[in-house]
Amino acid sequence: MRLPEIERGDTRRHRMLIAMISRVSGLRLPDAARVAFYDNSFAGPVLGAWTQRAMRGPSGWSVSERELMAASVATWNRCPFCIGAHSAVAVRGMRKDVVAAALADYRSAPISEKLKGALAFIEIVTRAPEDVTADDARDALRAGMTLDELQDAAAVAALFAIVTRYANALDFDIPSLADFDKAAGMLLRRGYA
Amino acid sequence: MQSIAPSGRGAVDRTLREGILARVVGGQAVAEPYDALVIRIADDSSGVTDAEVQEVLAAAGSEKSAFEIVLTAAIGSGLRRWDAAIRAIREAGDASS
Repeated sequence: MRLPEIERGDTRRHRMLIAMISRVSGLRLPDAARVAFYDNSFAGPVLGAWTQRAMRGPSGWSVSERELMAASVATWNRCPFCIGAHSAVAVRGMRKDVVAAALADYRSAPISEKLKGALAFIEIVTRAPEDVTADDARDALRAGMTLDELQDAAAVAALFAIVTRYANALDFDIPSLADFDKAAGMLLRRGYA
Repeated sequence: MQSIAPSGRGAVDRTLREGILARVVGGQAVAEPYDALVIRIADDSSGVTDAEVQEVLAAAGSEKSAFEIVLTAAIGSGLRRWDAAIRAIREAGDASS
């Protein structure tokens, strides 16, 4: 973490919350959660609410599918923290080997054609937004998703375009696999808001 | 999604925040050392260095300001992708309706 005040907490209340949650959960509270507490008159609460809506709100996609989308964006953006955090949640609802295969090459992975179509669309959005066209969207729709589901996938891609960038820029501490797994449990119980 | 654009209160001057949002979609450079970090975050965030963040921290004068600069560059990059995706989806949706 390149900004120590985020790690510590910027108010007495936040420092106490960070210490308490770390103690009760038995893991160092991840940097993503410390950022969520920090400078919360700025964009944090709104970003948290949008993340909650995109990742846990009503959708034709399951929670695991959306977490796989987030981990995929993290792979394309080379964000080791987000790859770890979101694949750890995805495997709570999908087989580990399936998640690993999808992150390595979603086109050949044993996932639905609909999910492959969504990943193909959000890969273009992630890597080359200037190149994304209506034909790319039509290809995704032909894979079997609704317009709402395509829009939901785009929301995950846009949000993780943001999160992966600040996670990398701030150099988030990378938890152990065991701590990523504990944090995944917290994310499933508490969500993102 | 547009509501997450940091246009409200912040430690960083609104003009700089708006400049950063414009910069990540191809607008004019903002002042250095902010511009170098903003472009790095937009184009290759995994390549951001300690030195780049420390220079921005020194110039901005506080960790909150440095944080807001980082977050604004990241948010602008996300909004750029949201806008591109939604334009494509709407055009595909209009043609099929």
